[in-house]
Amino acid sequence: MFHWLEKHPFFFAVGVFIAIAFAGLIEILPNFAQASRPVIGTAPYSTLELAGRHVYIKNSCNACHSQLVRPFKSETDRYGHYSLSGEYAYDRPFLWGSKRTGPDLMRVGNYRTTDWHENHMKDPHSVVPGSIMPAYKWLFTNKADIDTVYAEQLTVAQHFSVPYNQDVPMRDGSVKNVKMAQSLSEAHEIALEEAKAVAVDMKDQDVKDAVSRGEIPEIVALIAYMNSLK
Amino acid sequence: MENRPLEYDYTIAKMFMLTTIVLGIVGMLIGVILAFQLAFPGLNLILGDNLAEYTNFSRLRPLHTDAVIFGFTLSGVFATWYYVGQRVLKVSMAESKLLMTIGKLHFWLYLAVVAAAVFSLFAGVTTSKEYAEFEWPIDIGVVVVWVLFGMSMFGLIGIRREKSLYISVWYYIATFLGIAMLYLFNNMEIPTMFATSPAGETGIGAWYHSVSMYAGTNDALVQWWYGHNAVAFGFTVPIVAMIYYFLPKESGQAIYSYKLSLLSFWGLMFVYLWAGGHHLLYSTVPDWMQTMGSIFSIILILPSWGSAINMLLTMKGEWQQVAASPLIKFMILASTFYMFSTLEGPIQAIKSVNAIAHFTDWIVGHVHDGVLGWVGFMIMAALYHMAPRVFKREIYSKAIMTAQFWIQTLGVVLYFTSMWIAGITQGMMWRAHDEFGNLAYSFIDTVTVLHPYYAIRGVGGLLYLVGFLMFAYNIYKTMSSRPVEERELQSASPMGA
Amino acid sequence: MNKLYLWGIIVVAIMFGATAYTLVLTGGGNKSLTDILSGDIVNALAITGAAALVVITVFVVIKYVRQMQVDSATGDLADENWDGIGEYKNSLPTGWAVMFLLTMVWGMWYWTIGYPVNAYSQIGEYNEDTAVHNAKFEAKYKDITGDRLVEMGESVFLAECKVCHGINADGIDGKAANLNHRIDAASVKHVIENGSNNKLLGFEMPMPDRNGLMNANSGYAPITDAEIELVSRFVANGMTGEGAEVFAGTCVMCHGADGMGVDSMGPNISKFDTVLVTNVLTHGKKGMIGVMPKFDRLNDKQKEAVGAYITNISK
Ligand code: HEC
Ligand code: HEC
Ligand code: HEC
Ligand code: HEM
Ligand code: HEM
Ligand SMILES: [Ca+2]
Ligand SMILES: [Ca+2]
Ligand SMILES: [Cu+2]
Repeated sequence: MFHWLEKHPFFFAVGVFIAIAFAGLIEILPNFAQASRPVIGTAPYSTLELAGRHVYIKNSCNACHSQLVRPFKSETDRYGHYSLSGEYAYDRPFLWGSKRTGPDLMRVGNYRTTDWHENHMKDPHSVVPGSIMPAYKWLFTNKADIDTVYAEQLTVAQHFSVPYNQDVPMRDGSVKNVKMAQSLSEAHEIALEEAKAVAVDMKDQDVKDAVSRGEIPEIVALIAYMNSLK
Repeated sequence: MENRPLEYDYTIAKMFMLTTIVLGIVGMLIGVILAFQLAFPGLNLILGDNLAEYTNFSRLRPLHTDAVIFGFTLSGVFATWYYVGQRVLKVSMAESKLLMTIGKLHFWLYLAVVAAAVFSLFAGVTTSKEYAEFEWPIDIGVVVVWVLFGMSMFGLIGIRREKSLYISVWYYIATFLGIAMLYLFNNMEIPTMFATSPAGETGIGAWYHSVSMYAGTNDALVQWWYGHNAVAFGFTVPIVAMIYYFLPKESGQAIYSYKLSLLSFWGLMFVYLWAGGHHLLYSTVPDWMQTMGSIFSIILILPSWGSAINMLLTMKGEWQQVAASPLIKFMILASTFYMFSTLEGPIQAIKSVNAIAHFTDWIVGHVHDGVLGWVGFMIMAALYHMAPRVFKREIYSKAIMTAQFWIQTLGVVLYFTSMWIAGITQGMMWRAHDEFGNLAYSFIDTVTVLHPYYAIRGVGGLLYLVGFLMFAYNIYKTMSSRPVEERELQSASPMGA
Repeated sequence: MNKLYLWGIIVVAIMFGATAYTLVLTGGGNKSLTDILSGDIVNALAITGAAALVVITVFVVIKYVRQMQVDSATGDLADENWDGIGEYKNSLPTGWAVMFLLTMVWGMWYWTIGYPVNAYSQIGEYNEDTAVHNAKFEAKYKDITGDRLVEMGESVFLAECKVCHGINADGIDGKAANLNHRIDAASVKHVIENGSNNKLLGFEMPMPDRNGLMNANSGYAPITDAEIELVSRFVANGMTGEGAEVFAGTCVMCHGADGMGVDSMGPNISKFDTVLVTNVLTHGKKGMIGVMPKFDRLNDKQKEAVGAYITNISK
């Protein structure tokens, strides 16, 4: 049979294709329905948080940082509760990473704070002697791209029924309603409101001034995202 | 007419040889920079504070991986296909104008896509998925290039004189199909510019931005089904295609066993795809899928080793050739590193071992055993074999080649031993608890301890790069040195001083 | 002996050496190799895997290289030939074929029997491991006090707190609180001017801002800028120097004489104590310097220990 296949490239190719396509069908499909259900306490990303997520991706923070706490005592001691599938329901793309040059950030919002991030992103070495993380100074001047964030929110709300403007249950029994704008200008307003709340705790006067002028430096968005990781 | 030997047309092979070398230098240079940035973070500012956004580790890392995978390795795959394909199918590209046109289009479009990719990654336009960073406009370019590659491959197969397909061709076909399937499914994404706001606005935001069709755990599953098999169909299958041609050809030996070739091939095809779960051990992917990944990784040792053993046995009784020819040394060592990394991978795929290895430099070490020792060595060997034949000149210098071989071997050894130490140390330090049951180390302790190993890795990488530059120089001089006689060379490549 | 074997042994020895060296690094110099391996089965398995990897690869490759040296190629050639490359019709290497078959059988067995019968669950494993771990250490540290408690606190501090407070707990140039002494003048001033609401007493009990702070010495007039300056330095200096009167007139009611705190009224502002630190760790704190996160993942004993440690270093 194989000799015959080797003389008939078309059937050979079909044979190879069947051999390689088989595994994907069996392994990947069964998980799809199950894993996309959010756990209680998981809300969609707010406008500014999503902007921060874009900053995170743009700078490939995932090259050094994972967002996946494995179920080991040593990891839950260090980072908090192990990850649950449903916590990632709104993560498009997922950001688990595959290398921990730096620590996991899955729940960094629980144990690092705005002013610390500010110091750290400006010059990691000055807060953590021996750190090999690059300084991200340009985040303090580059402006976050809220337009693209809004387009993404609209897309996921429309195609994947991400529950914006709906009540989602929280762990303490309350509900959270993550607002998505009706128009681009409203999206900017919402993001700016969030940015102001972050900037209050910040020290950098240029950043504070920028926010009061109505601008949103990338660092503000990134910190909002970091703080949301819990 | 009929009796004249075939004149193979290497125009396109030559073009891709050039990009193999250029993109190899670029990709590895960035690799060396990355390595030293982790040892000496000041190098994030290598071009000053103002350009740090573009020269820092995180912006450069995807450039390294994509340059070496989609630049260096793929170019090497294309270059060798346009050489090997004609010869084992006994048909010349020159026989079909159409094929020549498709081939040229294939090359130029490839170059355009590479340029776009480099530009976009520098700009920070990425989807973050490893080895699938490109946004949708570039994805489309990639797909077109791939379709052209397929047309040119199946076109050549269509007009072949040799009825039966040689082993290398099996692997090239598998490369084409595998990557096509994987790339398409992992890049399912919706461009966000099509969204309409309730206020009626459209075309909002960056036109190239997209959002993945899959979320969270599902996205991870698809990504690592892709990521693992991108290794399979980028770093393994086409490289096996190369060694099945270049080793017997260069040494003049017949393949040791057809049966072994056959079982290794079909075994590899069937088993590889199942093993992707080993990238997701202890994640939120269901236990049974992880277990599947581990089991199949173990089974995968055998079809992988099958090809390597077949190659080593092909050289049975030919030690004098190994000793005399640096070109054959490259290929023998490549097989050895292939065996090493295809045993290392399965061992790291055992859940308890992965608990230590995952997220650490031990994985990076494993990666580079494979890519430096196996992929890099094999591609260079292939180009060394091709050069005297496509340029009709003997290889400029055997001495450079020998020196290069030892320098690079030392480089690989420094790379993987340092990452071995770094990875296992870090993995164990993360887990350590002290006498009170508290974590024994804060994270930064586990970073600073690695400094010497990061520095050693940098040196190893630098040696490898130096060797690669020697290779580039040797090929360049081969192109421009005195022509040898105009007769078809059979096996061993002629080498100068 | 053939040179190859010598090389093989050298390579294996180097990799074994490298692997053993990781244990030295991991132990930080104060743990023996066997401790590290026997304390954690995962460590032992990883090291074993690494060792097996080197040994198997090196000696299998040497086996085939020996065949290059001493054997010679034989067999029936197939009729076909591609670009001059022939193929022998040799049968499969037996060792390889047997291993392939065995792994496949093992895979089928593991998948259909081994794995389901075990009913393995990684979360189940985690729960067991954690219970064992906690039981082991709880027995050990439940009753420790005094210097041992401080030592334990130092271990928590170095793993969790030094990222912000610095390895010497000096707050890294004002980036977090300097824990070597109770409080800086700037922070006191900030609290007086703006009040404070950080559950430092363990429950909500805000300190009023300057409009609510009257000085008894000046007929209960709101505290003045000059008085704030004075009393801030007084507090920061460890309740010494000028400003004692302002303190007595304004603060004593809540913070007690010497600032040692008054139950349910005001926290100790002259010294750190375990209760105060525990409250900070439980509720977090927002002040002039910045925001201190709360630390849910530390257990009560760990909080107590780190409290003892801070009390100790700030003496
Ligand atoms: C070269 C690798 C590298 C890159 C790239 C990198 N980091 Fe880090 N990161 C580290 C290391 C190492 C540490 C630990 C030392 C420290 O705290 O600085 C760290 C620590 C952190 C921490 C503190 C987490 C904790 O638990 O202490 C945060 C938050 C962080 N990084 C965020 C980021 C963000 C956001 C980016 C991208 C914009 C980024 N990092 C890019 C290496 C990196
Ligand atoms: C009405 C009672 C009251 C008075 C009067 C008062 N305090 Fe307080 N003070 C408190 C309470 C309650 C807290 C804790 C608030 C919290 O939980 O954040 C506090 C907190 C503080 C702190 C912060 C400690 C820390 O670790 O951040 C300082 C400093 C302080 N007081 C100084 C003073 C000084 C100086 C005065 C007099 C000028 C004063 N207080 C007057 C009730 C008082
Ligand atoms: C993310 C950074 C961060 C981490 C981690 C952190 N701290 Fe703090 N901590 C701060 C900051 C900032 C302050 C100062 C808040 C203020 O008063 O403005 C502070 C204040 C404190 C205070 C209160 C000092 C006072 O004046 O009342 C104590 C006590 C303290 N930290 C202990 C700890 C301990 C113990 C740990 C580790 C278990 C820890 N901190 C971890 C940032 C941090
Ligand atoms: C039998 C064959 C192989 C198996 C079973 C295998 C297994 C593994 C495992 C378990 C990981 C680590 C996943 C993690 O914990 O993060 C890994 C990573 C990797 N391997 Fe292999 N490996 C094999 C062969 C190879 C070869 C030959 C190469 C290259 C030439 C290679 C390249 C890689 C790369 C690039 C990664 C990194 C993926 C990432 O970015 O995380 N592997 N492999
Ligand atoms: C000069 C030689 C090279 C050096 C110094 C080098 C260095 C590096 C460094 C420093 C990293 C990042 C590791 C980390 O994040 O900790 C890396 C990643 C990577 N390199 Fe290289 N590299 C070299 C050559 C190559 C070649 C030739 C290839 C492929 C053919 C390659 C493929 C990869 C891949 C796939 C990764 C990602 C690994 C992962 O995510 O696990 N490298 N390299
Ligand atoms: Ca990776
Ligand atoms: Ca893509
Ligand atoms: Cu893999």
